[in-house]
Amino acid sequence: MGMDMEGTKIMKIHKDSFWSKHIFSEDHKTIGKQFFWLGLFFLFFGGALAMLLRWQLGYPEQPVPIIGKWMWPDDGGIINPDIFNQMFTMHGTIMIFWAITPLLIGAFGNFLIPLQIGAPDMAFPKLNMISFWTMFLASLVLLSSYMLPLGTASGGWTSYPPLSSPAGGIPGLGQTIWTIALILMGAATMMGAINYITTVVRLRAPGMFYFKMPLSVWGLFLASILNAVFVPVIAAGLVMLLLDQTIGTEFFIAGRLASGDPGDPLLFQHVFWIFGHPEVYILILPVWGITSDLLSVFSRKPAYGYKVTAIAMSTVVALSSLVWGHHMYTTGMSPLLGKSFMFLTLLISIPSSMFFLNWLGTLWRGSIHFDTPMLFAMGVIWVFGLGGLTGLYNATVTADIYLHDTMFVVGHFHYTLAASVMFGSFAAIYFWFPKMFGRALDPFIGKVHFWGSFITINYVFFNMMVTGYAGQHRRIYNPTEYDFLKPLSGLNEWITIFAFFLGIFQFLFLLNILWTISRSKLCEKNPWKATTLEWTVNYPIPHGNFDEVPIIYYGPHEYSRPDIKDKDWLGQNELMEVKKWQM
Amino acid sequence: MNKPRVMRQLSNRWKTMIHAGIWFKDPPKDVSLDGYRIDSVIQYTDLVIGIYFGIVVVALIYFIYAYRSSLGNGAVYDHGDKKKNVIVTGGLGLLVFCSVDVVIETIAFRDLREAFWNFPKGENVLRIEVLPQQFAWNFRYAGPDNEFGTSDDIIPTQNHMHIPENTPVVVQMASWDVIHSFYLPNFRIKQDATPGMITALWFQATQRGVFDIACAELCGNGHYKMKGYLTVESKENFDNWLIENAPELPDDDWDDWDDAGEDTGIPEEWGWTWKELK
Repeated sequence: MGMDMEGTKIMKIHKDSFWSKHIFSEDHKTIGKQFFWLGLFFLFFGGALAMLLRWQLGYPEQPVPIIGKWMWPDDGGIINPDIFNQMFTMHGTIMIFWAITPLLIGAFGNFLIPLQIGAPDMAFPKLNMISFWTMFLASLVLLSSYMLPLGTASGGWTSYPPLSSPAGGIPGLGQTIWTIALILMGAATMMGAINYITTVVRLRAPGMFYFKMPLSVWGLFLASILNAVFVPVIAAGLVMLLLDQTIGTEFFIAGRLASGDPGDPLLFQHVFWIFGHPEVYILILPVWGITSDLLSVFSRKPAYGYKVTAIAMSTVVALSSLVWGHHMYTTGMSPLLGKSFMFLTLLISIPSSMFFLNWLGTLWRGSIHFDTPMLFAMGVIWVFGLGGLTGLYNATVTADIYLHDTMFVVGHFHYTLAASVMFGSFAAIYFWFPKMFGRALDPFIGKVHFWGSFITINYVFFNMMVTGYAGQHRRIYNPTEYDFLKPLSGLNEWITIFAFFLGIFQFLFLLNILWTISRSKLCEKNPWKATTLEWTVNYPIPHGNFDEVPIIYYGPHEYSRPDIKDKDWLGQNELMEVKKWQM
Repeated sequence: MNKPRVMRQLSNRWKTMIHAGIWFKDPPKDVSLDGYRIDSVIQYTDLVIGIYFGIVVVALIYFIYAYRSSLGNGAVYDHGDKKKNVIVTGGLGLLVFCSVDVVIETIAFRDLREAFWNFPKGENVLRIEVLPQQFAWNFRYAGPDNEFGTSDDIIPTQNHMHIPENTPVVVQMASWDVIHSFYLPNFRIKQDATPGMITALWFQATQRGVFDIACAELCGNGHYKMKGYLTVESKENFDNWLIENAPELPDDDWDDWDDAGEDTGIPEEWGWTWKELK
């Protein structure tokens, strides 16, 4: 029922006033771009915080050059412990919820899902618009905590109570504002998730069966399912935390020692990680999908084992909800639970290695083109390979007794969440930029951006794991406080230097984006010769997307078909070729 | 005239810098009975994931080289979805699982059973209660009556823990305020201390010396300097140290009790009855 009627309805009511077109737009493409700019802003904001954190770890208690005197005049330009804790709290919160989530799920979820499944728009366009503006409001709330006299939240992105409750000794309102911002963000994410799921289930064009959807849509779809299931869990936890923080309930407050009040700090950790572990898959699933698709496009070869990849990704989704306990091995959980969580966690390596092998299988006997999106997609193979494998240490109960809460964990999850997810996002941005903004990003700057980022990001995160194995625990303001960490100060300095270069290469990327957008030359409709539906529409794509409902005949990866002579690809809805094929 | 010396210093500085930047760092010296178990499971994991990642890298580089489009060979139209492809992928997935995950799991479960979750019992065992607070460590020894929470408990100076060498030590902990984590890098262990519950770990020192105690769970702005010292010494020295730290016989007035004159912000009677582990 819905699709055609919905489509015509959108076309009719659509008026091109400035506000409805650019600000309160209900067009999924505009909302996608809004999420894109929001995510990009916060990516650089969170990145700047990372640079300052690295300064403090590489050059402890030395004045920050250039901006230090201006930012913290009272401390002579030195970052003090309070500020340091606030910075890593905001860095984690911003990167996960305000940079990656808007970029991958907000921007590409919005932009790609309707276009790739042949829908005129999202199932609930108004909800989509409200989702973005709720996210925007959440951003303002989060940033407003920078104006508080006692600063922002500083309990870490996990904000475990009792530290994050009034009993924890963090002064001021920062922690409360953090909770409110996260609840709003969760509401925005829920609206998006419901929308994406409904759109994929209800609005696929005729012939677009589940196993004909591009793997990018699979990744985004599965991520949305996880969001819809688990965001309510963290929302409940956050509301309880907010009540603890504001009206004095004691959900997570246990009083001193081993007796006293009835609350339980561990309850929050369970609630947090029941959401928190699926959350890391929420962030990485779109990357897996996008990488699978891009490897196929630039190898000019069908994605190897498409169905296996889709099913493996779905299996990971199912398993991801059963492994949260591996974040809590050192909390004193029962041995039986610890063993069960270890076993379930390790099970994930079976489906993961299957789709990982499929990535290599796609390259095998392909015809590999080294365009910028491909470089980043192959970069994902490298960094996700390392990130995934190093997860084994943390899944092992015994090794984790030593490695938990050290820089090893930090290095590991930055390999998966920062390196893999950022490379996946960059691949997506370089690939779909021509469709989003009509112009292709400069390939030369893109390649410099890739190689610069690839070398520096590996150095930084690999050596974070090295310092962690050497014992350096995380979230410490000054590692030189400890004798056993003194031998690491040289390495910490090097990590900082490489991190700065990593930051500088990202400015190259930003300049590339700004320069390309301001440049007027439009590029062709399908510059990568890709098969999926979004490449069949002209830029700028009108509200409603397709002139007529596309009918889908083929899977998303029909490259190098031997039965076509004049080109090496076949669009998902190319009718002429179908006739030829059927005769 | 001085130039060569300056150059030499510069190049030495560079050598140190480069050495610091590319050399692997050893973990802190292991001085415990069971720390080698952690190191060896980590080394096994290093080895197997090194091999697997090596294979991935070789394959990646070979594919990039052999199937580059500039050769003009074109791609093979293959969906890799035939039964045999799926069997090969699944088989390789299982191979990875069996050669890595299953082995690690077996090692880990054995070590938990034999060491980390196998709490020692008997007369020989030294029991200590640990109560972290923002941002210090409080320790409590049972004293002559072997009971905790009594007036003869021995409470040494904050942040100073002593144990005899080659004696199993069981530590029980709770927390005074927020969650902390009792981290002994030289013993490869840590354990969260959470308000409202008692958690435990055990270890045994094999070498004398003074080692760092660190807090591994973010506990506030003083987290980074919540540092303690663990002294491992001979049995005689340890016994003397206990006697030195024994409380004066208590009067009825608990307030006069603290002869060290140290204000820790928490009452002296914080100890709890030792929780027997099953």
